Amino acid sequence: MLVREPTMAERLSDEVWSAGDLLERLERRDKFFVLDVRNRDEFERFPLEGRTPVPAVNTPYFEMLELGGKDDMLDSVVAYVERDLADQLPSDLPILAVCAKGGTSEFVAQGLRRLGYTSANLKGGMKAWGEHYAIRALVEGPDLAIYQVSRPARGCLSYMVASAGKAIVIDPLRHLHPYLDLARSMHLMIEAVIDTHGHADHISGGVALAAETGVSYYLHPYDAIHPMDVLPATIPYEFLRQGQVFRVGRHELKALHIPGHTLGLVAFRLGDRYLFTGDSIFIRSIARPDLGGKAETWAPLHGRSLRRLLDLPGEITVLPGHFSSLDEADEAGRFAASLDDLKNRNDGLVVLQQESEEGFVRYLLESLPKFIPEYVDIKRVNAGLLAPVEEEAATLELGKNVCALSQAYVASGGRKQ
Amino acid sequence: MSQIFDKLLDARGLNCPMPLVNARKEIGKLELGQVLKVVATDRGSVADFQGWAKVAKNVELVAQETESTEGANVYTHYVKRTA
Repeated sequence: MLVREPTMAERLSDEVWSAGDLLERLERRDKFFVLDVRNRDEFERFPLEGRTPVPAVNTPYFEMLELGGKDDMLDSVVAYVERDLADQLPSDLPILAVCAKGGTSEFVAQGLRRLGYTSANLKGGMKAWGEHYAIRALVEGPDLAIYQVSRPARGCLSYMVASAGKAIVIDPLRHLHPYLDLARSMHLMIEAVIDTHGHADHISGGVALAAETGVSYYLHPYDAIHPMDVLPATIPYEFLRQGQVFRVGRHELKALHIPGHTLGLVAFRLGDRYLFTGDSIFIRSIARPDLGGKAETWAPLHGRSLRRLLDLPGEITVLPGHFSSLDEADEAGRFAASLDDLKNRNDGLVVLQQESEEGFVRYLLESLPKFIPEYVDIKRVNAGLLAPVEEEAATLELGKNVCALSQAYVASGGRKQ
Repeated sequence: MSQIFDKLLDARGLNCPMPLVNARKEIGKLELGQVLKVVATDRGSVADFQGWAKVAKNVELVAQETESTEGANVYTHYVKRTA
């Protein structure tokens, strides 16, 4: 292999990482360090996470500016880092400067380079990372294609199922461009948009995507009532029923009503091959039953629904609605596993198979992570009861989803909530 | 509910960190006890001015206001030089 000096363009690209570059490096397990200059609460609520924890230090930029003591941001960064931060920064790793929108961190990256560090700026900041989409094909052919469309920073997964030029979108996320672009580039006609349930952790793109493509949006009617407000949704939707069949090209998706995480949660089965589980079975864990505020009454339902899913053919591939850590992906970055495999290694399913109904309910109730107050409003948004402007929507969705029980994540060695 | 101020800094349209960088420069030019009014459109400036006022030894954040006009928010910060 020819060894040569990097060109100017390559060197520049090393100094600015897009959200896509960042994902690539996290998936490759590249070693780097993060200097995060957002406020402490933002840093705690939404840290940068990879397959393994990314080492990081947090110093709000206004502290650098004030304590650096210079009129100019860059000069302050240099003065502050040299005097107060140098002992916390590694000299042998690249340092990624991170802020909310990528403007301030550019000064930080420049300041670090002036001091001799290798440093890059995260372009667009954590906002761009939080809104980055990745698309991975699980199967791709004219007879059947399934694309997993994810927001890696949030741990949200959605799907486009395509056959013979037709497509159905399951659980589309807030931004429509990934689905519209994918449909256009693969010459697919979107025929239906479905939400497996009324989401609490993210704002659904379902209603907007259905309107944009002129098709129907489907939701189980139980989830068209806000569980805390007990008010009916104002969004346009078609009733999704137990047993309902959606034809997509040469294949069929069959609805299985599996209440527990929500009362209207529906999974979709594509023959004996794929099971879109929504928020029931994830890869490492299972969904929490308390986001409607009724943990005690919903937990037994959740247990019974999960047992019904365990009776499905073991070779069926589970395609979940979330992940808690990038480490749950396979080497190609896909979040999928056979049901048999998950029976052996999914924390919640292991307990489910060992415990009585009462024992499993106890396990569920003892494993609940902290309730996220924003989730009440997000459910309102998804029901059409609240209409945030873009900036408010982005703030509501800040950080990673917490839809799974807690153990799995702690056990994986990630940061605790 | 309008506060008294001695100098106005228009930081509308500026992104982080410039509203704070400029405010810090301006406050240095004020007399002790005088108040700088900063108007900004960057939403992050609300938390940032609060955080800055805690760290800086010579300023006090007197008040903050949010005003919505035609769907766009304007954030106003009143900062007093105290030392």
